[in-house]
Parts: sequence; structure tokens; C-alpha cells
Amino acid sequence: MDYRIEQQIDLSQKLEILADAAKYDVACTSSGVERNNSGKGIGNCIKPGICHSFSADGRCISLLKILFTNECIFDCRYCINRRSNDVPRASFTPQEVCDLTIGFYRRNYIEGLFLSSGILGSPDLTMDLLYQTLYKLRTEYHFQGYIHVKAIPGADPELIERTGYLADRMSINLELPTAEGLKALAPQKNRPKLLAPIQQVRRMRIQNKNELAVYRHAPRFVPAGQSTQMIIGATGESDWQIMKVAEHMYKKYEMKRVFYSAFLRVNDDSLLPVIPGGPPLLREHRLYQADWLLRFYGFGTDELLSEEKPDFNLLLDPKCDWALRHLEQFPVEVMKADYAMLLRVPGIGYRSAGRIIKARRLGTLDYANLKKMGVVLKRAIYFITCGGKQMYPVKLEENFILRNILDGGGRLRTAAEEQPVYEQLSLFDDPRFSM
Amino acid sequence: MSSCHCLMIRVFQCEDTLTGILSGVYDAWSSRLGHRNVRLQTGDNENMELFCEYEQTVPDLEKAEKVLRTIYKKLGEEAYEMIAYAAVCPHSGKADAIYRMIVIGLSLPDGREISRMLTQPDVQLVFELRRKAWHIAHRYMGFVRFRELKNGVLFSEIDAEADILALIAPHFADRLPLENWVVYDRRRKKAVVHPAQKSWMILEEAEAFADLGNSDEEAYYESLWKVFHRAIGIASRRNAGLQMSQLPRKFRQFMNEFVDL
Ligand code: SF4
Repeated sequence: MDYRIEQQIDLSQKLEILADAAKYDVACTSSGVERNNSGKGIGNCIKPGICHSFSADGRCISLLKILFTNECIFDCRYCINRRSNDVPRASFTPQEVCDLTIGFYRRNYIEGLFLSSGILGSPDLTMDLLYQTLYKLRTEYHFQGYIHVKAIPGADPELIERTGYLADRMSINLELPTAEGLKALAPQKNRPKLLAPIQQVRRMRIQNKNELAVYRHAPRFVPAGQSTQMIIGATGESDWQIMKVAEHMYKKYEMKRVFYSAFLRVNDDSLLPVIPGGPPLLREHRLYQADWLLRFYGFGTDELLSEEKPDFNLLLDPKCDWALRHLEQFPVEVMKADYAMLLRVPGIGYRSAGRIIKARRLGTLDYANLKKMGVVLKRAIYFITCGGKQMYPVKLEENFILRNILDGGGRLRTAAEEQPVYEQLSLFDDPRFSM
Repeated sequence: MSSCHCLMIRVFQCEDTLTGILSGVYDAWSSRLGHRNVRLQTGDNENMELFCEYEQTVPDLEKAEKVLRTIYKKLGEEAYEMIAYAAVCPHSGKADAIYRMIVIGLSLPDGREISRMLTQPDVQLVFELRRKAWHIAHRYMGFVRFRELKNGVLFSEIDAEADILALIAPHFADRLPLENWVVYDRRRKKAVVHPAQKSWMILEEAEAFADLGNSDEEAYYESLWKVFHRAIGIASRRNAGLQMSQLPRKFRQFMNEFVDL
């Protein structure tokens, strides 16, 4: 017999439960759409997104990230909200989500809403509740801020479609990198069922683009694109396998973002691994760096990893690692190299590469200029010449560079008099801001 | 060899605002003293230099607008934005750099090239200051916190390191067109005021903002926000250092999630 004590809980308690339940979802970006207010509502979107606060774990808070409900009928082993767990449960109403979103947005606490959900009753029922919430926000409150919503796998495609016209971003989490992993840890889910809505969203986006080309004012379908997320380290995949899946997601499904989430052992379950040292954060960080290389730096997974070398070097970022294994392509002359090659130099980011290309057409560059343009010289000096000259006489030799890069705190042992100040090399340089 | 022109450098001292600086550009240009013999400077002069004569530039909207139009037409939108943004950053060399940038730009066959001449030191400085100003403004777009006053007005106070009110005002005006809102810069005693469905304006010397007290709902939403802020952090990934570097203490005094009621 199942005794349940019905208890009224207030909005604050619900928020506590349903924000807590949503915190493991890593996607919190509000970027990708630019939209002005119509003058008749509340809210807008700016392309780079905006961070409104930072949580105790140092992550940016941009959106009101909540589950609609954690009264979930599924029993995914890695999930704190699985049916078999004894945790406090709650569900919002669409009205409550609207109140929170508008109340927070007016006070400039957030950029918008990230609405995810457990499965309440059935996928259709859940998707319908998400749809109603968005519908209310968009049409009653004329809310024009950012909305990221989950599509519930297994829900009626028509519901997903209608919701997609109200959202900026939609996501369906792959959960685990491979179908086998999924089968083991999320028995009620399966890969084809997860891929179906991903395919649908992609198809609709293409269709929508064509419509927009003809009717400029046609409603926009998921304008900021879709994203997905994988748990890293719960099952035995290598980095190479994970990156292959990510690459596939970008190429085949035109994903805007793939997120990686270091496995946190929230449930004591015999099928879940115990990772000494806690969640594999550094591994997650390397995957984000590599992901960046795929999306903005023209690298392919097979250049970075292979079956023989399936995992990233935890001591070196993937770009440095690649460069050290390809010293024959260096040094690169900054005044002559093409954009693609500049991008491959450690310490030159895509922004600084762009600036170099523009500026060198109009004048000769020196190292001081490069520094001003954002080039991280402490990494780049081993790999570049500028106007035929090295900054210092440094050796283009693997062990030497490795020692110096890893010794980020130390100074270069060269004869040069003037030396820049070396910052401590942080292993946690955020890939979104550097590299 | 040393041909002494015995020329004094004329220093145009302008008010530390975009209008002030552009008025200075106008005056310096029309003085016809030759670009090498003039210099621009913002703010009061602490150390007077020898061989310099000083002239106060009176901020003049009409002059500033003329210069602005020329910049827009001849040097392009990019340069226009660079200059407007750079002008709000505190930096002793900015006014002169802006002047030089305009002078060089107007001497080019295609003035639009100027925004890309990053090897030229003055352009470089303006470029850097623009980046800095944008960065500061962008942070405030996120970190500004409104509280609802008794009369429904959304009120926010900041203490910004650069004069960014005019940079963030269009953003909030677009975002909250139907609201009455105010952002008050404590350091400069300036405020941007936006009456619902009207355009925003800057109030100088906005010393006294009568505090009406908060609306009845305000404390409720603030407490909800705190609940959310606490719940969304992952304890096993706690990283106070990262949090501090992303969100330095100077911002936190205005953010209710960091202030204990
Ligand atoms: S469906 Fe699975 S992952 Fe999602 S809330 Fe339910 S148990 Fe958790």
C-alpha cells in the first residue's frame, strides 16, 4: 500500500525543490538570438547572452533554471529525481512559473527561463504543461526574453512543434554518450526515442528557414537552435568516443551546443561507478576545450584523438597537445600565415586571429601589438615568428616547450633581458574566455 | 639645426563626457594651429606643463553633434561606436587619442579603414578603451538589480567604474518599455530615468532620490530569488574562487542574493 501524505507546500518550497532538482543540467546560456522588444511587452534578447549572477560553484546564472515537476515516473539510475528515490516532490502550475519568470525578469535577476521537467503521468501530459506555460508567458504576458525548453522524448510531435514556435532554444539530452550506456542506466529510455525529437527539431528548423526566406514575418521556430547534454564518466566511454558523438551531433543535427556534465554520484547504485577524487571535472574541462576546437578552430576529432590515443592529456589543453605532436608545422609566421593556420597556434584565439588578419593589412606587427590584440604570448612564443623573428631564442623542441608550459609559474630560462610577467597557468582557464 | 618655432602647445581642456571631448575636438580643429601644436585633455589639470597654454573648452551640444555626424559619415559606424564607448572610460589619454584618431581617419582615402588600424597607438588605445567600456557595460546589464518601490517604479543603484549609464540605458529601455525605471550612479550622482513608454533621459546631479520604500511584493520576490540562488549551486562542485573572480565583491553590495537581509 502506498500512503502519501498530502501536504500543501508554498511557492518558495516548490522553488527550492525544483531548482535544486534542475541544478545538474549544465546548459544555462542565454545566447544565440537577438530580438528587440515590440514595444508592447517585456523582454528582449541579446546575442552574446548575459550573466546575471554566479552560483556557489562558480557557474554563470543567466536563466531561471527549474524543473516543471520532479514527480517523475521514470527511474534513471543516475538521476536524483528517479521514481525509486525518497526525495521531496513538487510540481509547479503554469501560472506559478509565469509569476516567477516575470517577477525575476522585471528585477533584472535573469535573462529568461530554462524549463526542464521530469515525466509527470506521461510524456504527452508533461509536454502539454510545458507548452501551456510557454503559451501563457508569450501571449498573456508578452514575454520576449529568452526561453529554453526541454522537448520530452516520446511526446506527440505536434506538441513539440507548437512549443518550438514559442521557445528560443530546445534541447533533448542524450544523457549518455552511447546507446549501450543508456540501456544500462536509463531502462525506460532508448536512443532512437531520444533522437526522434532531435531529428524533428532539425527538420522543422530547415523548413522554417525556407518559410522565413519567403515570409519575413513568419513565426520563428527555435531560433537559437538546439542543444544536448551528455554525462561524462558514468559509463566507460573514451574521450574519443564522446567527441565522435559530439561531432556527429554538430554535423548531422546542426546542434548549436553539446554540453558535457561530469558524473556526480547522487545515488548509491551498484551500477554506478565510484570515481576516486569525485566528479571528473578536469576531464569535463578538456572536453569543453576540444568542443571549442571543433566548433571554432576547424579541428576534427580524429586530429585530436584516435583509437590508439583515445583520451585527452589531463596536463595539457588539447590544442597545445596537438601542436606539440605537430611541431613540423611550426613556427608559424604571423605576418603571412593564413587564418586557418593562425587558429592552430596555441595562445592565439579566434578573436585575436581575426584581429591579426585585419591589422597586418595596414601595417607591420610586433610582439607588443600581438599582446594588445589578445595573443597569450606565454604560450604562443614557442610556435610563432613575427616579421621573421622569434620573441626570444626559444627552442622548438617538445620537451623544452612542455617543461616551460607546464612550469607556468616559472620564468623562461633565456638570455633575454626583458621578460614579461608570467601568470600562474591555471588548469581551469575557462575555455569560453581563453585559448 | 634646431629651428625653434617657439610655438606653445595649446591644450584644450574638456569636460570628461562625450559631448565635452567632441567639443574639444571641434575647438582644436578649428583653432587652425596645426595638429602637432594642439592637445586635448579631460578634467582638471593637476600638473601644468611648461610650454603649454591652456584653454577651457565649453561643452557644446551643437559642436559635438557636428563632429559626431562627420565621424559617422566619413569614418563609419565602427569608428563611431569605438569613440562613443571609449569616451566613458576613465583614462587620461583618451581625449587626445580620440582627436588623433579622427585626424588620421579623415586623412585617409577611405576613412573607414581607421577602425582597423590597430598598429597605430592612438587607434589602439581607443580600441582598448572601447573594449573595456563594453565589458563594464555588459557586466552591468547583468548585475543591475531593480527593486520595486511603493509607487511601482523599478529602482537600481550602481557604483560604476566608468560612466556607462548612457551605454546601458538603450538596453533597459528596449527591455522594459512599459515600466517606469531608474538607474542611479552613486559615484557620479547621475541617473538615467525611463518613464513608461517614453524615451529615457539622463539626470545630472540627481542627488536626492527620495526613497519611497519598497512595494509590498518586493521582499517576497527577493526572498524567492535568494532561495533560487542557493538551490541552484552544486555543493560538490563548490568553487568560491571562481565565483569571486567572475563576480567581484564590488558588485555584490548591490545584489540582494549576496546581502543578508
Ligand atoms: S526522466 Fe529520468 S533523468 Fe529525467 S527526471 Fe525522470 S528519472 Fe530523472
